[in-house]
Parts: sequence; structure tokens; C-alpha cells
Amino acid sequence: MNIFKERYASMGGDIKFIQLHRAIRVNTLKITPEKLKERLEKKHVTLEKIPFTKNGYYVKSKFNLVSSPEYLLGLFYIQDPAAQLPVEVLNPKSLTLDCCAAPGGKTTQIAEYVPVIALDSNKERVTALEFNLERIGIRNCIVYLMDLRDVKKKFDYILLDAPCSGNYTLEENWFNKNSLKRIQDRSRLQKELISHALSILNPNGVLVYSTCSLEPEEDEEVIQFALDNFKVKLEKIDCIGDNGLTKFEFTKYHDSMKYCRRLWPHKTNTIGFFIARLRKC
Amino acid sequence: MLDFVAKFTSKKIEFVKIGNRYFLANKELESYRLEQKEKWFGLFLGEDINDEFKPSFGLLDWLSENSTEKVFVKDIGETDFLYGKTLRARHIDHVNGETKIGFIKLIQNINDENLGYGKIVGDFTKTEQVIKPRMDRGLMLKREKKKFKKKEADVLLDF
Repeated sequence: MNIFKERYASMGGDIKFIQLHRAIRVNTLKITPEKLKERLEKKHVTLEKIPFTKNGYYVKSKFNLVSSPEYLLGLFYIQDPAAQLPVEVLNPKSLTLDCCAAPGGKTTQIAEYVPVIALDSNKERVTALEFNLERIGIRNCIVYLMDLRDVKKKFDYILLDAPCSGNYTLEENWFNKNSLKRIQDRSRLQKELISHALSILNPNGVLVYSTCSLEPEEDEEVIQFALDNFKVKLEKIDCIGDNGLTKFEFTKYHDSMKYCRRLWPHKTNTIGFFIARLRKC
Repeated sequence: MLDFVAKFTSKKIEFVKIGNRYFLANKELESYRLEQKEKWFGLFLGEDINDEFKPSFGLLDWLSENSTEKVFVKDIGETDFLYGKTLRARHIDHVNGETKIGFIKLIQNINDENLGYGKIVGDFTKTEQVIKPRMDRGLMLKREKKKFKKKEADVLLDF
């Protein structure tokens, strides 16, 4: 834990174990936020608008919401506020590729606006994705059990919510389960994934890269790799969080890295998160 | 699948079949396909398991939009039905379409949202037990628990 504590301190962050608020995203394909609020409040569930998301609410309930008719009817998706941001940042206007889609929180969010091609290479996770597509009532999504690196078709909008090491708010004993080597291994995979994703992004297309990792190797370093090897530029993101790092230890990143958002759990009361928006030149 | 749909509506349904699974035909989505074989295509309608058609909740939603064969239940009926309980006369708000014993009906809450489907087993004006559930949305939780045992629960975690 000490290694990470020192690292985080050098980035302007910290390790503070916080009680995360439970949050939902309203499925606007089926109901308006106002009507869902009214229905759940009749059942003594408290809903409070999350100020920095479009359709997110903090919820307080004495019973498990998963057993409520409203959940089973697909009127909402249980999703951390930070995880609701990448799709809002992508703001897709046409067919979108969701690269590592399962279990489908962001896929179902994209599908509220535009058709989506969803990929995942893990069979079990694809089953979870299918369960969620059915519950939420999505009709405009095609799912493939495959690796992003096998896709040839080009897209104007791509979401790469990359597999990552996670962070300490998501997993008990996260610090004992992770090492700098594991983080480096993840970083290598993430660079391979972003390379392929950018190769199938149309000129002027937008790619949003996100992780729930707080480690620069999985975040700014991956974006710096993209800036160094592809004709892309970072675009400014207008949402909660700190600026991306422009320096870490002895490495200096591109000045535009400040346009990325870095969500520290103790500052945003969300899980740890990183988001970058790249446009192909 | 067509036999199942015909129990509720005479409206024609067009579909594509992938393996043993049925999906609603969708010309717009067709144009987005990749070269590889898809696992899921738009609206899932159901699947053949051991020569028997198992409808999806997506198909029941589609039928809700295209059929009048509905039983509307009160709030208490909604909860009980989702727990797999037989519907009783006191659960029922009103019935549209056929009311004869043996007929299959869509079960809707008072907001006309589909909860599943069931079979009429009693006279709505005379008997206590009126609808035997065939499929209810509570099944979603049961199948998740069955598919993903506790040690694999991270499969369902979503951030």
C-alpha cells in the first residue's frame, strides 16, 4: 500500500476509504427520470439527482433495489456515477463501437442514443451483457464474441473502456492483489487495444478511452503512446474531476494531457476513474 | 416461435435466426453487421431448447405493443406475480380480450408494462385462482444466480 500511497501523493491524490453512494442511471428508453422518481418514492426509495451526470441519481433504499419491479422491468441500471461519464463525453451521433462491452452498462447507455456494435472476448461476460440488453429492452445493438483486434470495419465513434487493474474502491485488498508489474502488463494490453481502435477510427472520428484505474501507466501513458504514434489530438472534457497529469515521476506527458479527467474517489465520491477524448486528424 | 406469437396476435413478425435463437428482423441493423458471425442481433425474441420454443422478455414486450390479449394486475398482483405466485381474482384490475379457461394471456401492470405471461385457470368472476404463471420477470434474477455463482460474481460487476 505504501508504494501506491507515495505514488498517489506525488500525483496530488490520496488513499481514503470512503463509503460510495449507490447510484442508478435512468433508462430513458422506457421512462422519464421524473416518472421513475415518482414511482420509486412511493416505495420509500429516496432519489437525489447526481449533479454531474445527465440521467444519474443517488439512491437510498431499505430494500434491495434489484428485487424491485422497476429493476426487473429495466427502468434503470445500477451504475457508479463515474462510469456514466464516458458515454456522455463521447456524445455519439451515429453508429458506435463499444470495444470491451460486457456486462453492458455503457452499451445500454449508448443504445439510448445511437445503434451500437458491442464486442467482448469473454464468453461468460457476454452472457451477462445479453442478460442486461434483454432486461433494459435494447433493440439496436449487435453483439460479437470477439477481440477488438479482429475488427476491420471503420467507425466514427468508438468507446474503449479498457480492461484495467481497477482501483481500491472496487475490490477488497486491492493493494495486496496488485503490483507495478501487473499494472505494466495491463498497460501493454491497453496500448495494443488503443492502437487497433485508432486504426479503425475514421478521420475526424472520436474515440473515448476510459479506465477505472488510477495508475498513470494505464491512463496518461496509454494516451501519450496514442499521441506519439497516431495522428490524433486530445479534446477538452467538460466534466467533474482533476486534470490529467502532465508529469509523473521522471516522465513528462504532452501539455494537452490536462484535458483528460482523473477522478479521485475522495474528491468526487465515485470510484477511481480516468477519461480521455481523442479526435483523429 | 410463430405458433407462440399466433396465440396473441395475427400480426406478422419477421425474424432472423442465429443458431437456435430468434431475433426481430431489422434492416437498419443489417447494414451495420461485421464480417464475423454475431451472437446477438437487436431484439432477442427467444430460442428453441429441446425442440421447445422459449420466448424472451423482448418478445413479450413486442407482443404487448401488438396484442390486446392482456390481463392488467394491481400493485399487489404485480409483486406476487414476479415472485411466481398464482394470480387471484383480487389481484386483477381488468382483462382485455379472451377470458376463457385455457387461454394464454400477457400479464401487465397498471402502467401497461409487461411482467410475463400466464394461462387462465379460473373464471375471473367466480373462482379464486385465475392465472397460473408461465414466465415472469423474476426469472431474470434466478437465471443470473444460476449462471453466475458467487465466486464468479465479478462477471456482473459494472463500472
